[in-house]
Amino acid sequence: MHKINRDSLRESIDNILKYSTETKKRKFTESVELQIALKNYDPQKDKRFAGTIKLKHIPKPKMKVCVLGDQVHCDQAKANDLPHMDIEALKKLNKDKKLVKKLAKRYDAFLASESLIRQIPRVLGPGLNKAGKFPAPITHTDVLNAKVEETKATIKFQMKKVLCLAVCVGHVNMTSEELYQNITLAINFLVSLLKKNWQNVRALYIKSTMGPAEKIF
Amino acid sequence: MSGKSAAKAVQFASNLAQLQNLMKRDPQSYKEEFVKQWQYYHNLMQTFQLQPSKYDEKLDEMITFLSQVSHCYKEEVSELPEQLSNILKNHSTILDRTMRMTLVKAVIMLRNKEMISAAQVLQLFFKLLRCEDKLLRKTIYQYVVSDIKSINGRHKNGKMNSVLQNFMFTMLQENNGVTVKTALDIMIELYKRNIWADEKTVNMIASACFSKITKVMVAAMKFFLGKDELEEKDDSDSEDNAPKKSAKELVLGHRVAKKTKKRKKKLERALQAVNKHKKKKTAPEAFNFSALRLIYDPQDFCEKLFQQLEKTTERFEVKLLMIDLISRLIGIHKLLLLNFYPFMKRFVQPHQREVTRLLLYLAQGSHEVVPPDAMEEVLMTIANNFIAERNSSEVMAVGLNAVREICSRCPLAMSDDLLQDLVQYKGHRDKAVMMAARSLIQLFRKTNPELLHRRDRGRPTEALKELTVMHYGQQNVKSFIVGAEVISEIENKTESTEQEQDEWESCSEEDDDSDNEWVDVYHSSDEEANKEENQVTAEEAEEKEKLAEIISSTRIMTDDDFKVITARQIAKEIGSSGSSARKAKKRKQQEAFEGSHDLPRLGDIELVHKKKAHDRESRLATVMAGREGREKFSHGPQKMNPFASTTNKEKMKKKVFTMVKHKIRRKKVKRSFKEKQVALRNSLIKRSKNERR
Repeated sequence: MHKINRDSLRESIDNILKYSTETKKRKFTESVELQIALKNYDPQKDKRFAGTIKLKHIPKPKMKVCVLGDQVHCDQAKANDLPHMDIEALKKLNKDKKLVKKLAKRYDAFLASESLIRQIPRVLGPGLNKAGKFPAPITHTDVLNAKVEETKATIKFQMKKVLCLAVCVGHVNMTSEELYQNITLAINFLVSLLKKNWQNVRALYIKSTMGPAEKIF
Repeated sequence: MSGKSAAKAVQFASNLAQLQNLMKRDPQSYKEEFVKQWQYYHNLMQTFQLQPSKYDEKLDEMITFLSQVSHCYKEEVSELPEQLSNILKNHSTILDRTMRMTLVKAVIMLRNKEMISAAQVLQLFFKLLRCEDKLLRKTIYQYVVSDIKSINGRHKNGKMNSVLQNFMFTMLQENNGVTVKTALDIMIELYKRNIWADEKTVNMIASACFSKITKVMVAAMKFFLGKDELEEKDDSDSEDNAPKKSAKELVLGHRVAKKTKKRKKKLERALQAVNKHKKKKTAPEAFNFSALRLIYDPQDFCEKLFQQLEKTTERFEVKLLMIDLISRLIGIHKLLLLNFYPFMKRFVQPHQREVTRLLLYLAQGSHEVVPPDAMEEVLMTIANNFIAERNSSEVMAVGLNAVREICSRCPLAMSDDLLQDLVQYKGHRDKAVMMAARSLIQLFRKTNPELLHRRDRGRPTEALKELTVMHYGQQNVKSFIVGAEVISEIENKTESTEQEQDEWESCSEEDDDSDNEWVDVYHSSDEEANKEENQVTAEEAEEKEKLAEIISSTRIMTDDDFKVITARQIAKEIGSSGSSARKAKKRKQQEAFEGSHDLPRLGDIELVHKKKAHDRESRLATVMAGREGREKFSHGPQKMNPFASTTNKEKMKKKVFTMVKHKIRRKKVKRSFKEKQVALRNSLIKRSKNERR
């Protein structure tokens, strides 16, 4: 069964925070990452899992979200000072692979108006999908800012070619309680995705960008 | 001394095998003999060089001998590898077959003794593939595979591998078909043996998919589709199967001759064998996805393949392979290849060859990122061409099944009009069509009941209330683990029963509470859910969500917790009754087991066979089952005590007839008056009849 102790988890979070805020403070905000090693899992046979979950606190506040919107959404974005593009601007890219790739690189995530989203594969080609940044829909009833915050708080678990994966769950400027909540939620969600739950987990580590890794399982 | 050795040399000249044995044991003392043999070899070689196409038995033996003992006299034979490979290089095609084989084997021997480098040998051998000699090609293929395997025996030799891989890649771009095919076969074999299971190899094989040589292209595509092994298996099966008869033939054969126990047993055994065979075939196929996953740029690869497919003039089977590979790539990597769907539309006709496969590929190539309008067109074509009363029922069923498979991957493609039209076949007279339509209903009950007509939606369950229909591009993002609220309910219960004062937050360590405890609670909470069913309000749902959020972000769940959650989620899907809950749980588990591979199966689309309601065998089986455990039917009142004495009448029945014959005879004497009267009358009538004649 699982061996994560609440207190030891808190302790390792404190260690990480202490290291990167006191012992060796860097000139940027380090992010905190959860690293997972799996076992008893055959990536060739078992179904690959992928899942997204919204964390309680935004792990990457600096994430850039671009709104691909119709008139209403563009106006809202302008008012909120968010990066935005309308359909004409997208059409100007002319399906050029390099330009689309550039666009995909410039932002971390995209939002698109519901009326627009169905055209996006035709207007932009497969570029956004290839980068794994296919936009999420927004309706006129949604509050744009809230939606952007939600997108920022969402993290994605996806296994690729190897038996380990890593996700960003926070940064060192968060309080230890916030980090604790994010990490617990992320761990719980990940384990719920696995076929045999805890029996598929070999190890769990948390680590800040430049700091040492702390084994928590 | 010298005389002795000369005699020895003569003796050994005729017996190289013995000499070889002695040399291997004690190289130093036989050095002199070796030098002599070496000289002799040189002479032979010089004469051979003049006429390389001639077979020379002595030279043949000598080469084998030298390669065998070469490791004992490394300095002396340092030029041997060079010499042999030069002969092979310069005279590759004119050499005598046997001679060439000997030379190749000698080079392999030298390579095994590390007297020549692997890259050199590989280069030489790939040149030799130009010779038209099957055995030679086979030997070379086997050698290369085993050599690369031994190079990577203990640990991967990265440097060597990259050199060899680069060489293989240049070979793949050659013009000679045989060379390319062998290089490809070698790489595929090495991949399968997990020796070269890296991205580089896979991408080299992927580049072979665009080869101009059909054989090479097909082999590369089959590698990605994982078809090779299956076919091999099928072949071996069919070999076994050829003399065997089908079940129907067996039964017919049994019908015509006399029915004895022995023959019946024979039939049973034969039928059993046939069924066993059938079972083996229906076992789920294991697909090796990793090769498809390792491709560097799937989108680009897929687009290129599609271009090739549009232009190609290859046979239909090859086209099918291409379509299969493209659709699999689209499905696995969730690619966008919008031209694929209009291209496929032209194949969607009932009379098209292999139409079920093509429909299957369409289903493979659909996923939720495909724009719904693109997919809707495909669905409309299927509906128009297949699902209409003018077609036979099989065609309709196939069409409906294909629609279901596509919709299960891309539910947004379906419009409510089309769905409601299709669903009307749920009462069709043909069972296959009816089943297909109903399975479509089942699918949409789970994914999007809004599209169905009210009466088709089924009984509302708790899961349905929580269901949110995804829009295009939307992902189901929750900020909690679905169903986590159950845990607090359980915790509360345990607290109230055990009178524990701890908060539920701090009692995660006592989670190994016995199973029956939570089963109990599960039932009671179920009842609660029933009561609430009509009163669940939005507020309550919100409250639940909040609870789930708190739980999933404060405590780390155990395996037990997850078990409870899944049990609860299943219970939500079915309304109430315990038995159906259990059934559904079983079904769920089975689904999870079967759903381990993401690909649709051909059997799902081709599910149009009619199932006979009740054939003779099964009817008999039910009869036999009914007879079990009941007494045999018999006439008359049965005795209370089976050991009680028997009457004379009963005894008489069991006796041999001759023993009681006279007693039956005597019956005539002891006749009653009435009997005598009847007998007299009969005899009088008989007599009068005789007189009249």
